[in-house]
Parts: sequence; C-alpha cells; structure tokens
Amino acid sequence: MASLTRLLERNLRNSSTAAGRRLYSQTQEEPAAGTKHEFDDEEFRVLNLRAAKQTDQQKRRVFKKEAALPPRHLKMATDQDWTAVWPGPRTFQPSSVPLPLRQGYTEKGAAPPSKFVNAELMKIPNFLHLTPPAIRQQCEALKKFCTPWPKGLESVEKWEKHFPIEVKSTDYCHALPTIRNPDARRVTLNIKLSDLKFDAHAKDKFLRLVGDRYNPNTGILTIVADRCPLRKQNYDYAMYLLTACYHESFVTEPWEQNKSEADMEYYSFERNKSKQTAEAIINWGIPTDAAKLEVSQDFAQTVELLINEGENEYNLGRYKEEVLKLLSVRNE
Amino acid sequence: MLARHSLKLPRLTNMCASFCTATAEAAAEPLYNRPKLAPTDYRTGETNTDLHSKVHEAKFYTIAPEIKKQLFSGGGLPRQYEQQVKTFTETCLMVRPAGLELINYIRNTDFKRPAIRYVLYGDNGVGKTLIMAHALHYGLQNNFVLVHVPWVPNWMKRPKETANAAQEGFIDLPFDAAAWLVHFKTQNTNLLTKLQLKTSKDYVWSKREATPAGSTLLELVEHGIARIKFASETIAALLSELKQHASEDKCKVMVAIDGFNAFFHPETRVFGDHKQRITPDRITLTQPFLDITNYNWTNGVCILTVDKIGMTEGFMESYMPRYLLGKEGFEHLDPFVPVRVDNYSDKEFASCVQYYLDRNWIQKTPEGFDEQLKYLSNKNPYTLMQLTRSL
Repeated sequence: MASLTRLLERNLRNSSTAAGRRLYSQTQEEPAAGTKHEFDDEEFRVLNLRAAKQTDQQKRRVFKKEAALPPRHLKMATDQDWTAVWPGPRTFQPSSVPLPLRQGYTEKGAAPPSKFVNAELMKIPNFLHLTPPAIRQQCEALKKFCTPWPKGLESVEKWEKHFPIEVKSTDYCHALPTIRNPDARRVTLNIKLSDLKFDAHAKDKFLRLVGDRYNPNTGILTIVADRCPLRKQNYDYAMYLLTACYHESFVTEPWEQNKSEADMEYYSFERNKSKQTAEAIINWGIPTDAAKLEVSQDFAQTVELLINEGENEYNLGRYKEEVLKLLSVRNE
Repeated sequence: MLARHSLKLPRLTNMCASFCTATAEAAAEPLYNRPKLAPTDYRTGETNTDLHSKVHEAKFYTIAPEIKKQLFSGGGLPRQYEQQVKTFTETCLMVRPAGLELINYIRNTDFKRPAIRYVLYGDNGVGKTLIMAHALHYGLQNNFVLVHVPWVPNWMKRPKETANAAQEGFIDLPFDAAAWLVHFKTQNTNLLTKLQLKTSKDYVWSKREATPAGSTLLELVEHGIARIKFASETIAALLSELKQHASEDKCKVMVAIDGFNAFFHPETRVFGDHKQRITPDRITLTQPFLDITNYNWTNGVCILTVDKIGMTEGFMESYMPRYLLGKEGFEHLDPFVPVRVDNYSDKEFASCVQYYLDRNWIQKTPEGFDEQLKYLSNKNPYTLMQLTRSL
C-alpha cells in the first residue's frame, strides 16, 4: 500500500507540472516514433508502378504472313476438265483462270492492268461456267429426263391452235433457308382475243369488263393473278376470271338498253342523224308510198371514217367525192 | 500592224467597187429580167361572173363601184382589204380556183333538189371571205335573193346591245338584227321590188302593230328596221317567208354566211340574266339562220365558211370543218360539200405581184424581190398583203 501511494505521489507530482503538456504531446510524439524506425537504413523507397506489369507481360505474338502460294493456274494441265475448275457462276478469280486477261483504264500508251487484284474484272459478270463443253455436259445429263416432243405440235401455228391459252409462272432457285419465294405464286394468263368467239354486243361488253387487260395493238388479253398464296389457287382464279368474263359478256342486262349515242365507242352511220338527212335528201320529191332509196355504202363508210379516224385532207377529200355523188352535183 | 492594214485595203476597195456596180445596175434597170406580164395576163375585163371559167383563173376582174356599194356596204369584205380597195380606187377580185369550183357547182345544181350546203374552209388569210364575195357577186348577177351574214362572230362576241327576248331565257340582239336587215335591204331592194314577194300570213308584233298577210317582204323588212325591238323576230319571219317562196319556185335564194361555226361555238360573250355566258342557241338570231341552212327546201344554195378566227381561245387548233363545227354543227350540215381554199398557186402569186406593181403598191423592186416575197409570205394572200404594205 505504501509503495502504491508512493508511486501515485510521484505521478501526481509530475502531473502537477507537466500533466497538461503530456496530454497533447503524447499524440504528437507517436508518429515521430514510427518514422524513426523506417528511416533507419537512410534510403527512399521507390514506387515502382510497372513492377507488377513487367512481370506479367508476355511477348506479343508476331503474325507471320504465309508466303502466297503460286497461282493455281500455273499447275493446271492444258487438257484439264474446265467444268470441274469452274462448275458454277462465280466472281472472277485470277489465280484459277489460265488466261492472260487485262482490263481497265490507264494512261494513254500504258498497258491495261493485269488480271490480279483487278476490280474491273470482278465487277463484270462472266460466263466461264457456260462454256460449250459445260453446256453439252449438262444437256447430256438432262437428256434422260426428257420425253419425246408430242406429235402434231410441230409448228407454232399448231400449238397455238391446240393450246390458245398461255400460262406463265416463275420458279425461283436460290440459296436461302427457305425454298419458297413469294413471287412464285404469280400466274400470268395470255390469250388472243381472236381465239374467243363473240357477237358484237358480247365483244363490246367483254372489252369493257376486262378494261386495260386487253392490248388493242397486239390483240392479246393478259390476266395476272397473284391474290392467292399458292400458284395452283392463282391459276384456278385466273381461269375462273376468264370463264366468268366470257360468259358474263353474253348476258344482256335490262339497263344496257339505256346506252345512248354519247356512250358509243365509235360513230356508226346507221344510228345517226346523218343517215336520216342523207336519206331524206335522196328521197326528196319521191312519193311516200314509193320504194325508198338507200344511201350508198360508200357514203356511209366515208362519214364513219371521217369521224372515227378524225379528219384529214384525205378523209375529207373522199367525203367530198361521195357527197358530190350523193347530191349529183359536179364541177365541170 | 502596218503590213496587215495594207493587206486589208485592197480587199475593201474591191468590195466597194462591186457594191457600187450593183447599185448602178439596179438603178439602170429597176425591174430586173423577171418575166413581165402584160395587163391581160393578170386582169380580165370579164365582169360577168357567170362567164368566168378556167381561162380567167388567177386574173383580177373589177367590180363596179355601185355594185360594190350595193353588195358590201354592210360588210362582207375584210377590213384590211377594204382599205386596200380604197387605196387602189378600184375593187378587184381574183378569180380563184375555189371560187370557180363553187360557181361551177352552183351552175350545175338542179334547183328542184334540196338546198346544197357548201362549206369553205382553209387556213387564216387564204381568201375564204373574198371567194364568198365572188360567189355573192355571182348570186347578184343571177338574180338570187342574197341572205348574207358578213361575220357571225360579231353577234356572238361583240353585240351592240342585248335585250331579253319575248321567249323565256332567250336573248335578242336588236341593233345587230336591225343592221342586218338594213344590209339585206341594200343588197336586195332591186330584186325584191321586181319579184314582189308577199307575206303568207299575218305577223302580229304587238297590240297595235301587225304586218298583214299579203304585204311585201320589203314592207316587212322596213318595219323591222323602224321598230328595232322586233328586228330579230322580223328576221325569223323574213327567212321563213323566203324559204317558203323559194320552195314554191318564186325566187332563188343564196345564203352566204361567213363564220358559220360561231353558231355552234360552246359559248358566247353575251351575258344572260344571271351574268353568265349563254350558248349561241339562246340567241334569237341563231335559229332562223340554222333553219335556212337546213336541207329541207329547194331553189336555194348555202355557202358557208368555217373560220378558226371565229372561235375563242382553246377552240382554234384546226381549220378543218368537222373540228370547227363540232358534232352538232356537222350533223346539222351533213351532207355538205367541203371546198378547200388554198394559198396562192405560183401563177396566182405572180399575177397578184404584177397587180400590186400595176397599182404602184410595190415600188421597190430589187433583184429577186418576188422570190423573197414568195418565201416570206408562203404565198398566203393575207401575209402578202401585209408584207407589201411597206414596199
């Protein structure tokens, strides 16, 4: 106990003078004690930032270009099978074509660029796959699938006579995951209008029904069907359209009687005032019970020509001649 | 530089020399050696149009001043031509092939048959109106009653006055109608006094005014002129009377209508009640003239011209009759005899140039002037007349 008090006493004595100072000097002195330990070997530490990397770094791989092989055509035999070298359509390949081709624009006097790395040669389509031996080969291969040409269809006239309807559709062949092509469903049907039998009314009505599907210059009717998803359906639909239009054209509806002169497609002398006038003039002075004179066919034709074809000096000249005949006046 | 000048000089002097000689030659011989025509080659003394034949083709014949006054004082000659006539102090018409053709037709017509309609057509300025004038002269000399309308488009395009007609929806052109009656009277007084044609029925104009049956046509016309209000109706009455008399073989009638296609034009410049343009068939003058150009009468001849100037913009693409008359007009006239009027032939052209020289109308005659005129005018009579105004 006595020793304890002694110790305390000494501490308190010290504290009376330096207690306050010690309180904060303690915090100051502690780091000083630490550094003192580090600086013992008297050298700066080096911060080596690259140290880690340098150890991990591998050597970059050097890509070595393999030496280009000599072009293939140098090894080609002169009697090789070309169809095996170039079996299908393909972009121009200089190394496999044993021809000294040159193509392209240069300065005047210089030779055109050679076939190697020549974009001009690659751009244009080539027919190296369609050489005569290749075609011969393919024909030979296809021959076994062919049947003999039907008898009685030797000439164009004959087959047009027996098969007046021409049906066209297109098959597409391409490298895609699907073998379907939406355009393959389209069916085009052609028929010459002269192969169908009509009367005057039916023909007029048929032409109105088909509208611009009929080409008056060639006389060919074209029906294109593509509204159904399958070719078979479209074909059936086109045939149905043709049949329906044909039969409908022979039907005379009651309202068709209302067609007036203004609706007519062409001028007809028969149904116009000109005929009445001309008849009245040539029958002038003839008693009503006597037989009527008829207007000459030539006059009727010239009037129709004048109006349907449009007037020109020739048509008007012919009209004049016929009128002079009709009215029996002459220029001495 | 000097050398160059010296080189140039001789050439210049050469040119001068050649130019001087040329002018000298021209002065010495004003008419170079072109074929000169004697007056008999381009003029004919034959004033009787009935005797005109192939011999007189391309020759000018003179119309006496009093005849000209009688025929054309109310119009009938183109204005430019009228001025030229005044300048030349004589009315000369060329005997054109189309005119001869027309007169031949009329001469060979059987007047017991329905009236024949002749339609003169041709490009601008080829002489349709003057050929009609020739035909009118023929009509006058052969005792035809002349029903001559100088220019129909005048009625449709620039009427003097418009008034509502008695008929609902129709428009009267009283002044124009009266002017036409005056024209008709000037042309036909002599013949009508001789023929003494009488009206066949009473015409009652109003409560107090009437033209009784049996009065002469001249009285009818004079009433129309005095009472302008009834002029249009008078024309209708007069034309139907004339048609009737001709059919009864009491007279022969020549109908000459210039610019006939105006009757079938889609619209006029005449405004109706609601300030909208009316169609020609709503003008009271149209119907009588369409009636008289119908085929259903005898002892008549109709000479009509179709002219694209008579149309308005948008309807002037062609001068062919079917185009100008349209569907209705063609149906109205068919069958008609189309008579094409062409530009001058070489012979006619030479004759015309010679006539102009004779009249001192062309005074400058350098070498090749007639060839130049030929190419410049394309032998078109009107263009030639315009071109020679300044020569």
